[in-house]
Amino acid sequence: MTKPRLLRSLVIFPLAMLPAAFAQDGATRNEWPSYGGTQLAWRYSALDQVNTTNVTKLAPAWIFQTGDPDNGLQSTPIVLDGVLYLVTARSQVFALDAASGKLIWNYKYAVPRTPGANTQNRGLAVGAGKVFLGTYDDYMVGLDQKTGREMWKVAVDDQRQCGCAITGAPLFVKDKVIVGSTGGDGAFRGYLTAFDAKTGHLAWRFYTVPAPGEKGNETWRGDSWKFGGGATWMTGSFDPALNLVYWGTGNAASDLYAGDRYTGKDADGVDLYTASVVALDADTGKIRWHYQEIPKDVWDYDSSYECVLIDREVRGVMRKLLVHINKSGYAFVLDRTDGKFVGTWPIVENHNWNTGVTEDGKFLGRVEPVEDKPTFICPGPDGGKSWNQTAYSPRTGFLYSPGLEMCTDLVAREQEPAEGRGFIGGTWTHRDPKDGPARSHLDAFDPVTGKKIWTYQYKYALLASILATAGDLVFSGDPEGYFFALDAKTGKKLWSYQTGAGHRGSSISYAIGGRQYIATPTGWGSIAGRAMAAVWPEAETFRGGSTLIVFALPEGAK
Amino acid sequence: MSPIRPSPTRKGGGPLTIATLILATWAIASAQGRAGGGGADMAAQGEKVYNQTCATGYCHGVKGASGGAPRLASRGFDAAYITQVVRAGIQGTGMPAFGTTLSRGDLTAVVAYVGSLNGIAPTAALIPDRGMPRRQLPPEAAKGRALFYEAIRGFARCSVCHQVDGTGIAVADPIGKVPENVAALRAIASPHVVNATAEGSTFPALVLSKGAITVKLYDLTTKPPVLRTFAAAEVKIGGASNWSHNSAMAAYNDGELESVLAFLKVAGGGEK
Repeated sequence: MTKPRLLRSLVIFPLAMLPAAFAQDGATRNEWPSYGGTQLAWRYSALDQVNTTNVTKLAPAWIFQTGDPDNGLQSTPIVLDGVLYLVTARSQVFALDAASGKLIWNYKYAVPRTPGANTQNRGLAVGAGKVFLGTYDDYMVGLDQKTGREMWKVAVDDQRQCGCAITGAPLFVKDKVIVGSTGGDGAFRGYLTAFDAKTGHLAWRFYTVPAPGEKGNETWRGDSWKFGGGATWMTGSFDPALNLVYWGTGNAASDLYAGDRYTGKDADGVDLYTASVVALDADTGKIRWHYQEIPKDVWDYDSSYECVLIDREVRGVMRKLLVHINKSGYAFVLDRTDGKFVGTWPIVENHNWNTGVTEDGKFLGRVEPVEDKPTFICPGPDGGKSWNQTAYSPRTGFLYSPGLEMCTDLVAREQEPAEGRGFIGGTWTHRDPKDGPARSHLDAFDPVTGKKIWTYQYKYALLASILATAGDLVFSGDPEGYFFALDAKTGKKLWSYQTGAGHRGSSISYAIGGRQYIATPTGWGSIAGRAMAAVWPEAETFRGGSTLIVFALPEGAK
Repeated sequence: MSPIRPSPTRKGGGPLTIATLILATWAIASAQGRAGGGGADMAAQGEKVYNQTCATGYCHGVKGASGGAPRLASRGFDAAYITQVVRAGIQGTGMPAFGTTLSRGDLTAVVAYVGSLNGIAPTAALIPDRGMPRRQLPPEAAKGRALFYEAIRGFARCSVCHQVDGTGIAVADPIGKVPENVAALRAIASPHVVNATAEGSTFPALVLSKGAITVKLYDLTTKPPVLRTFAAAEVKIGGASNWSHNSAMAAYNDGELESVLAFLKVAGGGEK
């Protein structure tokens, strides 16, 4: 594995074409080093060999079947030094030659032998000569990047007690690896944990729900903080200049019933730091600021998704921004230096849970679920978007987001918490929205104003992440098995390819020896994936599997 | 299996016994149902349990219509299959075992309800809910059990290194002899914790295996302990470390440790 051969880059750096103000660079090039592309979470590749004129010539260059098809393939591959790292739902890790797909090593993690395992995995982190794996049974594992040999392994929690699992990709930051967990739909208190990358020693832990004596605990009623939720189940971002780690926090628990946790006071936030974005000092894990998007979350609106870090002009002033979408159907634009609210805009048509939003981000006329009687609410707990990630192109300046037009009848129900057991506090039934059948779309937005530039409509749910490239292409996949490319400027579909299984993963782009590759996981699965069968009975036929398909232009056909 | 909800196997009734019992009680209930009345009660009770336990959108959905877990309605399931899965869960999937967490009456009712979603006639009189055979711990031991696993203590809780009743991380060997009192607990010696030297630092270690090629050990520098694997040539194992079990218990005071000991005595020194 030598660096020099990778330096034969085909990249035309697009930043040169942009205003000088775009000093910040979240693009990937020959490699795909982090879950969100770079630590800024743009999911944007500056490669442009594949572009709007030649995309129709894309063909598979190689295919890798993991042989572990349980629950589909949700992973984001990582590519570094010519090697592609991939993890399956049941925590099996593969290192492949990124040009040929040839197996370099395979780390076989023990598959679950007990009932109740949450086998989903969205990716690895790689750094400091190690590959970092979070497992379905709450271990963090550090593997030797060259050999796949286990170097360290540490229990983040006990799955039998917490009912939680690590499903999100860890984030490698400087000399540490940071990881969250699921658990917030159960009786569980959320946290984020950082380990020393070299030794596995605990570096810090941040609880998303403060303990008595800590600021914010007063926003919880009685002992409700002990099982308050706030799971950190997706992957955060990092701004090296500010030395801040940003992470979205999940819903408060119980999800739909707040009677046991709501103090009746709203002024300084409700049930902190749930349904929020938190900014933590990367070295100490100490909280620097928080912004609670959904105070008193009673819809499972769950602010766990990606934090996209971009620098953009707001009303004539250049700002360091953080754009964050949660399940509520809204995007939130924050100043990432101090967490100040900049704006919010809807990503879906159907968002009836409020009647309006004030200039400082307060939602008015909230429609909350009530006990033992259905209330029609859009979006439902599956979200106006699932965890599948957005992409941001600095060339077009657009944020590309999936959106789900789905509603639910929500019923709240008081529930006694039992540690590690489900603590939803109610139920829901999927309903079509008022404006037509349930459906989804992929849209291009101005990330500051929310102005919709174009929309690509789809009859089922789009649950795969988005990839944007400097070839002015936007890639994603659908549950029927099609991997497709849209024109990033117009949304026009330019190409699609039937991959044989549904898409619930995250595609990436990289280059080896001057050839651009576009890799997509295939294999339907996941909790939200299965839930779609309640909306579309034919969703039971969407195909599972666990295969990585890597596309490129035929050699000599540039 | 949570220590708060001990397995009925500890009382001697094996899982098979419970399954058989549910089937038997259901069969009796069905017979009674056919003889007249009560089936609706059973179904209503089952639906209530189902709505609280199984119906969330992340699981099977209201009326088994499907959610994050598969559809249960109209699947052609039979009573034996439903009973087996509800009781024991499905290995390697998200379906947990409810045989130890639901009361016998609730279990029977929910099995009957899922049966009704599969065209199996609703069954009869509600089985009186006598509850699960739970091990009743004396108050002191119950307090100790809660302290032993207490999540709000984070990595300072006992179960970060000790597994008892199947919960906790088995870093240490199963607890054998339980110390008589807190003084004895505090005085526990740990001669098997040694100084290991690797990558330029020396740290307290619990060696798991020392092969010709690799050495596996728990690095006790921080909590939680880290299972580290070194090439044999990269690590030097020295003499006894000055690491003490007493320092690992710093988050507990004497009164709390007394309760923990009371629990461990009842727990019988942990599961071997």
